[in-house]
Amino acid sequence: MATMIWMEGITQTFHLEGMDLPVLKQIDLSIDDGEYVAIMGASGSGKSTLMNIIGCLDRPTSGLYILDGSDLTTLDDDELADIRNQYIGFVFQQFNLLPRLSALENVMLPMIYAAVPKSARVTAATEALTKVGLLDRLKSRPSQLSGGQQQRVAIARALVNHPALVLADEPTGALDSKTSQEIMNLLTELNQQGTTIAIVTHDASVAAQTKRTIHMVDGKIVEAANGSVQPSANNLRPDAAIV
Amino acid sequence: MKTARSPNPQTHRRKRRKVSLREILIMSIETLWNNKLRTALTMLGVIIGISSVIMITSIGQGVQQQTGAQISALGTNVMVVQAGAARRGGVSQGAGSASTLTWEDARAIAKQVPDAKAVTAFLQRGSIQVVRGNINISTTLLGTDLNYPSIKNIQPQAGLFFTQADLDSGRPVAFIGSTVRDELFRTGESTIGADLRIQGKRYTVVGVAESKGLSGGQDLDDAIYIPLTNMSSQIVGNNALTGVSINGFWLEAADGDQLNAAQFQVTNILRLRHGIKAGDVDDFRITNFVDIMSTFTTVMGSLTLMVGAIAGISLLVGGIGIANIMLVSVMERTREIGIRKAVGATSGSILSQFLTEAILISVVGGVIGVGLGVALAFAVATIFKFPFVVPLWSIGTGFGLSLIVGVLAGGIPARNAAKLNPISALRSD
Ligand SMILES: Nc1ncnc2c1ncn2[C@@H]1O[C@H](COP(=O)(O)OP(=O)(O)O)[C@@H](O)[C@H]1O
Ligand SMILES: [Mg+2]
Repeated sequence: MATMIWMEGITQTFHLEGMDLPVLKQIDLSIDDGEYVAIMGASGSGKSTLMNIIGCLDRPTSGLYILDGSDLTTLDDDELADIRNQYIGFVFQQFNLLPRLSALENVMLPMIYAAVPKSARVTAATEALTKVGLLDRLKSRPSQLSGGQQQRVAIARALVNHPALVLADEPTGALDSKTSQEIMNLLTELNQQGTTIAIVTHDASVAAQTKRTIHMVDGKIVEAANGSVQPSANNLRPDAAIV
Repeated sequence: MKTARSPNPQTHRRKRRKVSLREILIMSIETLWNNKLRTALTMLGVIIGISSVIMITSIGQGVQQQTGAQISALGTNVMVVQAGAARRGGVSQGAGSASTLTWEDARAIAKQVPDAKAVTAFLQRGSIQVVRGNINISTTLLGTDLNYPSIKNIQPQAGLFFTQADLDSGRPVAFIGSTVRDELFRTGESTIGADLRIQGKRYTVVGVAESKGLSGGQDLDDAIYIPLTNMSSQIVGNNALTGVSINGFWLEAADGDQLNAAQFQVTNILRLRHGIKAGDVDDFRITNFVDIMSTFTTVMGSLTLMVGAIAGISLLVGGIGIANIMLVSVMERTREIGIRKAVGATSGSILSQFLTEAILISVVGGVIGVGLGVALAFAVATIFKFPFVVPLWSIGTGFGLSLIVGVLAGGIPARNAAKLNPISALRSD
């Protein structure tokens, strides 16, 4: 199976008031195309920091990151924006919807930046909202929706450009267990259709629904469950050399 | 493997289709519309900035024009010679009341001073009681000769000024100012031939003067003109040793240089006629309006400077207002910028959108601000009765300033926020 994500020696060090704060320490990670992965770990262990790097929302301090054959460290900001737009769907714990836009307009947002014409945007966004069961709430603003509904809008937005990779950082963290399960069902279904998914979660029952769980402690990956192998120097690197 | 959307190196080196300007414009308008309060507040900053610039410069220019008009209304090549000691520092309140000047003096000057184009004598009293029917007013009564209208630029709007025959025989005829007419007559009522009682004596109205308006807070239309001979014999009573005593006379020269020559000649002739010995002070004083004019020109210059300074200050204040609200508005929206970037917006498209919004606000606010500024300037000019002028440069400057400040104050923080990586923008709260 093709490798979707290949990370070698990724570090992330923040600088706070002149102090170096190493948050990620030599992360090696490989995720294959079509995988369904959970990332678990204590609060502050660096899960979000890692997800942000995977999702091209932030750049690592050092290390190699190859996403589906592209060496991302060589890309400029606009090219990273392109990858976020075309290749990745990101779901945040705090939804991050634009409060003044309707559900439909929020979902259409990624397509505006993909230069999709208006009529096609409406069709695709309506379709995505139908998929998450919100066909009747197209015109609602985020404030008029429940937490679960807002997260479903966010998921619709994440998948509207048909990304190969969906990243969800504690997508159920702000939701009750019943709503959480609805969100998980959506993500599971999406994975069954072939989308690679990585979820950060605190919830073991959420992790149990994925096919692999990665544990993080203090900025390091300590074990990868479900028998998957971490990359090492001996493993065959994906064809990044052509970049 | 879904090759169509794989970020293989080739496809990612390719420049992405850019979001069209039209799309950005629509998005900007929608954003402004969806955030009506924020939009209104930002626009208010622009409106206040521009309208205050326009209003203040307009008022400044109006006052300046009015001052200029008042100065030229005084006559440019005239001087007035008044009875009484020359002023030596301080204000001589009783000027013109001592009867040291006579009509004969004025006529001698007219004859003997080559640079005098025309001379007119006057004898005047304030607070004179005038009655018509049961209406009773108090006004200024001015006895003069036939040169007065041309030197003082007074035109009749009805009837005529009194004639040489009226003057020669001291007839009780009155040429009245428009304020006097308004107080004594109803609108449409015929004035010519009507009778008035001035100090109990009967006078016939022969004409009404065109309005001259206010000058230095004084109503130039609140006056009645009668023949000097009549004024002297019937109203004042002659107290001169010889001839007809007057308060003074006006002298008009062909131009400013001749006026200065005339002043010198007048002084000599009057000193001679009055037997004033060398070293003694004059028993008359001369006010030369060319001198006054140059003083006023200096005043006008500083007025222009002041208006410019005020306009500059209001530009600054307006600019700071616009900059401030733009700045706050962009900082508030860093999170929005983060969200847009997270779903794939480039720094460029973020910046385009914010700039478009800033330009829209500046232009729409600018148009409203110009309208409001012009309206306010008009209202102030109407209330305080000075000419309404809106200098085009103030509209241009106000508009240009709001655009520049709007674009800079909206653009620079937007550019900084757009350059943040998405997660830093999202984390800002
Ligand atoms: N931008 C940042 N600047 C400084 N410190 C940060 C930043 N982002 C995260 N951190 C710190 O890094 C550590 C890991 O954070 P995070 O990745 O959010 O942990 P987790 O998601 O596992 O709870 C925390 O101590 C956090 O305070
Ligand atoms: Mg986290």
